[in-house]
This record gives sequence, C-alpha cells and structure tokens, in this order.
Amino acid sequence: MVLLDTAVGTRLADSLVEMRVALPTWNDRISPVLDVATRLLVLDVVDGSEADRREVLLQGADVHGRARQILESQVDVLVCGAASMPLLAMLSEGGIKVISHRCGVVDEIVAALLAGELTEDAFAMPGCCGRRQRRRCGRRGQRGRFMEQE
Amino acid sequence: MSQPDADNVRDTILESIADGVFTVDDDWRITSFNAAAERITGVAREEAIGQHCCDVFRASICEGQCALRQTRETGRAIVNKAVYIIDAGGQRIPISISAATLKDASGNVIGGVETFRDLSMVEELRKELRAQYTYADIVGRSARMRRLFDLLPQIADSTSTVLIEGASGTGKELFARAIHDLSPRREKPFVAINCGALPDTLLESELFGYKAGAFTDARRDKPGRLALADGGTIFLDEIGDVSAAMQMRLLRVLQERVFEPLGSVTSVEVDVRVIAATNQQLDKLVRKGTFREDLFYRINVVRLELPDLRQRREDIPLLVDRFVSKFNALQGKDIAGVSDEALAILMEHDFPGNVRELENVVEHAFVLCRGGLIGPQHLPPALRPKESATVVAGHGPRTLQALEAIHITDALRRHNGNRAAAARELGINPSTLFRKINSLGIDIPARPQADSETE
Repeated sequence: MVLLDTAVGTRLADSLVEMRVALPTWNDRISPVLDVATRLLVLDVVDGSEADRREVLLQGADVHGRARQILESQVDVLVCGAASMPLLAMLSEGGIKVISHRCGVVDEIVAALLAGELTEDAFAMPGCCGRRQRRRCGRRGQRGRFMEQE
Repeated sequence: MSQPDADNVRDTILESIADGVFTVDDDWRITSFNAAAERITGVAREEAIGQHCCDVFRASICEGQCALRQTRETGRAIVNKAVYIIDAGGQRIPISISAATLKDASGNVIGGVETFRDLSMVEELRKELRAQYTYADIVGRSARMRRLFDLLPQIADSTSTVLIEGASGTGKELFARAIHDLSPRREKPFVAINCGALPDTLLESELFGYKAGAFTDARRDKPGRLALADGGTIFLDEIGDVSAAMQMRLLRVLQERVFEPLGSVTSVEVDVRVIAATNQQLDKLVRKGTFREDLFYRINVVRLELPDLRQRREDIPLLVDRFVSKFNALQGKDIAGVSDEALAILMEHDFPGNVRELENVVEHAFVLCRGGLIGPQHLPPALRPKESATVVAGHGPRTLQALEAIHITDALRRHNGNRAAAARELGINPSTLFRKINSLGIDIPARPQADSETE
C-alpha cells in the first residue's frame, strides 16, 4: 500500500473521524471495476464534512490481496462500481458497508453521500436496478442479487 | 419488388448475431447496443444508450487497457482479446473482444465499434477438460468457509506442508489448487496424484520416476511427479491410504527434499511444496498404528479441516446457482434456477457425498428439466430427508416446527449427541432442548466411541 499524498493539512487522529469513506477512482470518476482499480480515494469525514483526503495505490489483481489492501485502509464505507461477488463478500465480512454498482463523477457522489442523498437509485450503474426492482435484475436467473452488502 | 432499406438490413443483421456489438461516439458514449450485448452484459439497450461505455461494459481492461482507445491511438484493430466483464450480479463473465474505429465518409474518426463473445461455455469446457478449477470456483459464504478463506492467503505465503482433512466431495483438491494459485509458486506446476488409487509399485514409479533398465519395458528414463512439480506444488491425495513402505519413502522426501528414481544410484534434490489430503482422521490412524507418527507430524504442520456440506447448509443456494450456471453453459440450456420447493428439499438433505453429490443432483435435474425452474419432480427420488422424516414429511413450505427439528438434529449431530453442548450452541436452556427433543420426536445421535474426539 502506498500513500500518494495528504492533501488537506495534517492527518486526523482516528478517534476524531466520524466516518472514513473510500472510492476507487479513475479520471475523476468512480472506477468501473473494483477488482482492477488502481487508485483508492480515502476521505475522513468530521461533522458531516470532508476533513481529510488522501489516495492509496491498489496493487495486484488477486481478490484476497485487494480486499486486504482496502481493509487495511480502515474505511467504514466503500462506494464503488462493479465488483465481483467474492470481493464484495470479503469486504462486507471485514465490516465495510459497501455501496456497489455506482458510477459518475467522484466529487458529485461524495457530495451526495455527505448530504445523505446517495439513495439506492442515485448514480446507479446502467442495468443495476435499486432495491425495489432488484429481483431477477441480472442474467441467468440467479437469486438474491444485492447492490448493497452490509 | 422494392429494395430493402440499408439501415434495416444492418439492424436486422446486428440483432440476429450471437456476438454482442456496441458502438460509441467520440465522447465514449454508447450509440448502439444489440440484443446479444443486452443478454451478455445484463444491461437493457435503453439503459445503455448514451452512457459511458465503461459504466455499461465493466470490463477488466476498461481502466487501463481499453481496446477501443488502443485502436484509436494505434489505428490497428484488436481481434479476440480475452478479458472478463462483471455483470450486474457480480459474476465474472469471460469474453473475447474485438475493436475497430468508425470513420465518416471523409475518413475522420467518429467513434468505435466493439464486438464481444461470451466465453462462459468455452471456459467451463476448458475447466472440465483440464480439471483446472481455481480459487474463484470455491463457493461459500458461511462462517466456516469464510474462516478458511481468511486463512488461505497466509497459508499460501508460507512454505509449510499443509494437511487438508475433509470428507469425500468437500473440495480438498480445489483448496490445494487455491493455495498453490495464491502462493509465490503459482507460475510453477501444480501436480496432483491420488495415492489411494495406485498400488505401491505403480505409485512409486509415478512419484519418483525411473531410469531406463530399472525394470522390464523401462526403455527410457521417465521423470516422476515429484520431479515434474519441481519449483511448484505436489498434491498427495488420500495420503492415509499409502502403505507403510511408501510412508517411509515419503518421509524422506518431506525431511530432506531428496529422492531416488527407481533404478537410479544418485539422489535427486527437489524444491517442492507438499500439500497432502485425506478423508480419514490421520491422528486416529496413528493411534491404531497404521500411519507413521513421524510422517504424521511432518505432514501436520498446517491443518485445514473442510466442513461437510451439511455443516454449511447456508451455502447450498449459492452452490446450486453455481451449478445451474455451469450446466447451462456446458449443456447449452437455459434453466432459470431452482424452485423454492426443490430448494427446501435440497436444504434438508444431508448430502453424505457433499458438494459432489449436490452437483450430481443438479446434473440429474438438468436431464429431466426442459426449461424454467427445477422442481421437486426433477430431483432424484432418493433425495428425501430420512432422519427428520417424522416431522418434516410432505412437500411445500416447511413449518416452524420442522425447521426447529432440523436445527436441533444438526446441532446434536455436530456435538455427537451432547445435549448440553447442543443447547449452548442453540442458545436455549438444556431443559428446553430436552422438551423439544421429546415433543418433536428427534432421535439423538449415538455418542462416539471412546477414541473419538469431540469438538
């Protein structure tokens, strides 16, 4: 894991951080596939606002190593694009609230998240329906597909 | 007779082909998306049009090695590049893609076209033919499986010998392959040998190889599996079945990483990681005197115990989905899944043959089911719960009492009939458990023999 920069002042003590959010990014947008994303934006949220921002390089393509790197960032919430089921399961098992199958400009998604407006349908990837429509939204009749894994 | 409209002809052709096709404009937004593209990606055309192609396609190369971008930059078309996409359900779908640029009448680039083919069937066939299942093929989200998944990377990073214990059909070889695939030895060979399937002499020549003239018909040198696995991993399946003489030879390999091919006067050094597996409890065999204690301790450095399928029933729906996808791909069928009634029967069955038995049950159902959902009538007739028959007989939704009986029976079995331990696990008072055992007519499993171990 490589820390690229610390953009806003000094790093906050973990105890002060209300919520740590991570988003895999690519060209200022959410990276389309978490399994191969290379950059993870990590935000510390204090008093409902972004207080710190840094970037972590993700390396390697094996699912376990990737899950471990993300878990090491000690994030509470991960907002990402598409991700394979094993990776989602490992992150959820590690205690991360994963909001998957989202797309769009990172800053807009962060703003929506902090404003409490990242609803089930907001910024959803095409073909990835929200909870109300989630049944049988994929292919091959597989059961129980959830966009959010807690 | 009027000539058909060129656009109509083009659209009809695109809609009728089995390959997915989409086009993008100069801004990487999708401008057309055919029916096969909808089917393979799981994204409807109306949702795809106008969106960024990477948000719709979700391929492993979108971020770093976009085929369309490379084509536009180099001017060369890309043909049949093997990648994967992730569908809305989180499944990795292997595909091959081809990409080319779209130009207007003046030769200016106005976008690109990407065609892709679903390789799921090819991939399944390849795996079947070469038995090359990987870590990703291990299905399970139960607590016991997750604990195993958490251990795998650490085990893979080490060089220690691993002993995998588990009943037949629990996936011992799959785990062995997973350890190899996650280890620094992944680029080197993984060689598996079933020690129980071969008589001693054959096992010896298979493992150690032989020199020309070592025995009649040994006309030329033949390297053994150990030599073939040099630098990689050797998987010794059914290690509990090998003879005393072979145990001695294996001990030397494990201790010194040295062996002699049959008929050779010189030793061969080998750098190999050993993963052994057995469906027996080796410590019991040691106590019985049929397995060498020193070999046991050499093998039992890191031990993985794979759970029976009945100990992780919650994984059955996931496994059924996996097998339905697999047989759909292999047999070219379009079975949607398993009905709730059939799934209830599968959830109640004890599966003494474990995951392999479940796979066979789904394959059996595929023979009888022509389409739609697999129902109870498609399952093998023998597939009925026996131990809990008094309380769960009949089809349709299970009653609360029936489910209670299943959970209590399972807990009692897990604790070898120890009611106090079972009550603790179930979170109820032992006296409540006794009352339920009586009222539900549950048979308490017999206590194990004196030499058995309890959890």
